[in-house]
Amino acid sequence: MKLWYSFLKELKLSSKSFYFYVEVVMAAIIILVLLVFIPEQITIIQKEYINLDMPDNVKASFIDTILEEELDGKAEEVELEYGDTVIMADLYEVDDSEIYIIENREDMIGLTKVDRPMIGAYLTFDESKGEILYEYYLQGYESDRLKNLYRIIHNEDLTEMAAIAETVEVKALNSGYNTLNSREIALPSLLTFNGSLMGMFIIAAYIFLDKQEGIIMAYAVTASKVWEYLMSKVLVMTSVTLITTLAITLAVRGTKANYLMLVVLLITSSFFGSSLGLWISSFYDNMTKAFAAIYTAVMLFMLPAIAYFIPGWEPFWMKFIPTYYTIQGFKEIIIGNGDMNFVALASLGFLVAGTLFFFASNYRFKKTLTT
Amino acid sequence: MIKVNGLCHSYNKDGKYAVKDVSFEVAEGEVFGFLGPSGAGKSTTQNILTGLLQLQEGQVTVAGYDAKHIKNEMFNQIGMSFEQSNVYSKMTAKENLEFYRKLFDVETRDPQELLDLVGLGDKGNILTGEFSKGMKHRLTFARSMINNPKLWFLDEPTTGLDPSIAADIKDIIRLENNKGVTVFLTTHNMYIADELCDRVAFIVDGDIKLIDSPKNLKLQYGDKLVEVEYIKEGETVLESLSTIDIKDKKHLMNIIEHYDIQTMHTKEATLEEIFIKVTGRGLI
Repeated sequence: MKLWYSFLKELKLSSKSFYFYVEVVMAAIIILVLLVFIPEQITIIQKEYINLDMPDNVKASFIDTILEEELDGKAEEVELEYGDTVIMADLYEVDDSEIYIIENREDMIGLTKVDRPMIGAYLTFDESKGEILYEYYLQGYESDRLKNLYRIIHNEDLTEMAAIAETVEVKALNSGYNTLNSREIALPSLLTFNGSLMGMFIIAAYIFLDKQEGIIMAYAVTASKVWEYLMSKVLVMTSVTLITTLAITLAVRGTKANYLMLVVLLITSSFFGSSLGLWISSFYDNMTKAFAAIYTAVMLFMLPAIAYFIPGWEPFWMKFIPTYYTIQGFKEIIIGNGDMNFVALASLGFLVAGTLFFFASNYRFKKTLTT
Repeated sequence: MIKVNGLCHSYNKDGKYAVKDVSFEVAEGEVFGFLGPSGAGKSTTQNILTGLLQLQEGQVTVAGYDAKHIKNEMFNQIGMSFEQSNVYSKMTAKENLEFYRKLFDVETRDPQELLDLVGLGDKGNILTGEFSKGMKHRLTFARSMINNPKLWFLDEPTTGLDPSIAADIKDIIRLENNKGVTVFLTTHNMYIADELCDRVAFIVDGDIKLIDSPKNLKLQYGDKLVEVEYIKEGETVLESLSTIDIKDKKHLMNIIEHYDIQTMHTKEATLEEIFIKVTGRGLI
């Protein structure tokens, strides 16, 4: 009962606090950005810088192939620059690419270095074999999958590969898998930020505010336990997260998400984030000192969000960062008919990890809460 | 009610003690004053007794509970009024008290009754953030009584209060003490200690220099003189006479019998003077 009364009190106080409105305003901003500024479908145009070092007839044939897909059916002469160099190039716009034919190989390499396009390539023609040779200039951070793809398409007979592909029977395990539009795809990382990450910061702020006002001292000389005090804060964070996150999800995804599992993952991930915030706070006596540690943790936890938007960048160590599972879990939930076993397992993981951090925080705060 | 034996505490555990080898006992129903200047170790001792600081060395028993392994149920027996007011500023006075009464497992007092007692009866529904410093202090004081404590820790209970309110607070302390509540009073105000305490301890640099009743201390350290002011042949005469010397005693009797006495005071030492005499230190 003491926990319940503490929770009600914390809820009342937080509803009058600045931090509560930070969460509410953040949620409102997320809804506004998603519904107003992010279109449902975003087309990403990729740049390709290509230098064709080949006989004129082969070159003409290559360009004719590009022209077949050109939106206007003709090239546009454009001015490009890198460093102090300004060059002219032919631009061909196809469905999802802007292909620039660069006359000079050094210019192509210079532009690739500076502009970091999707593709920088030097193409020559082997007259003895009658085939085009491709030399790609990569940035170094491309995934192995992409590199392997380049190797395969230029070392295997594409006609043969197409024939083999046709004989392969593909059975979809779940043919009813929903798809997400660009707006909905952005949701998982934003929900993670709004939930567990904001919770880490705000719960620390609440603790240090209580310390500063001496309220903790008054609480410490009651027959209530430290864990009840800490849990009341965690419950408030979880409640606020639930309200704001459900509002965002409803506004963007409507009724198509799995709300039961959303609540489960929200509660467990928020519990984990708040407990971690408590644990970090227990090492410091004011917010200024704790800020650097919490900020570092939040930045680290943001990395999976970057990887989420860049499919080609997903190093192995990313899977050791908890928010990787929050983001993937939210994605499965938002899809509606995604992999709920994954969500359940991730939730269990957050519950266990959150419990461990909560116990550790309780142990530490028993010693340091009033000092 | 309180037993302290060989209490030592070092904040940095570096051998520099804020409190060193402190021993004393407080009997049930007693008002015990813990007196000393700032930084003497008063708050450190009190914080150990109330569980706000962990006991490092020594044996401490509070209300029958071992301070080494403090149990939450101990706090049902004790009340603590802090020197620095610490109430929820975004809650009303009544909400503050209502919340705290739910954190105890014993019968609690009616918040309105407590507010009336400390002169805040008509301020119950005002946010404490709008309270003056003195009002917050009174609310903190009232809160410390919410669980009907048997052992009551008071840290500078009248600091910052105007004289009439301070007098009311002292009356409340006397009233509670008359009901059998043991009071542990931490202060550097010798006047309140003199008025309220059955016994006082002088602490300086973490070390208790003396424990005794104010009366005994005055008898032991005070000058045994009477200062008398009387009218003799139309003029005011002021004399200091010993209460021990036979000649002075006879002279005093003569003055009382034959002259118009204007004022007469025993020249007993104040606790503050005794503190300075015993410890060689002032109280600030």
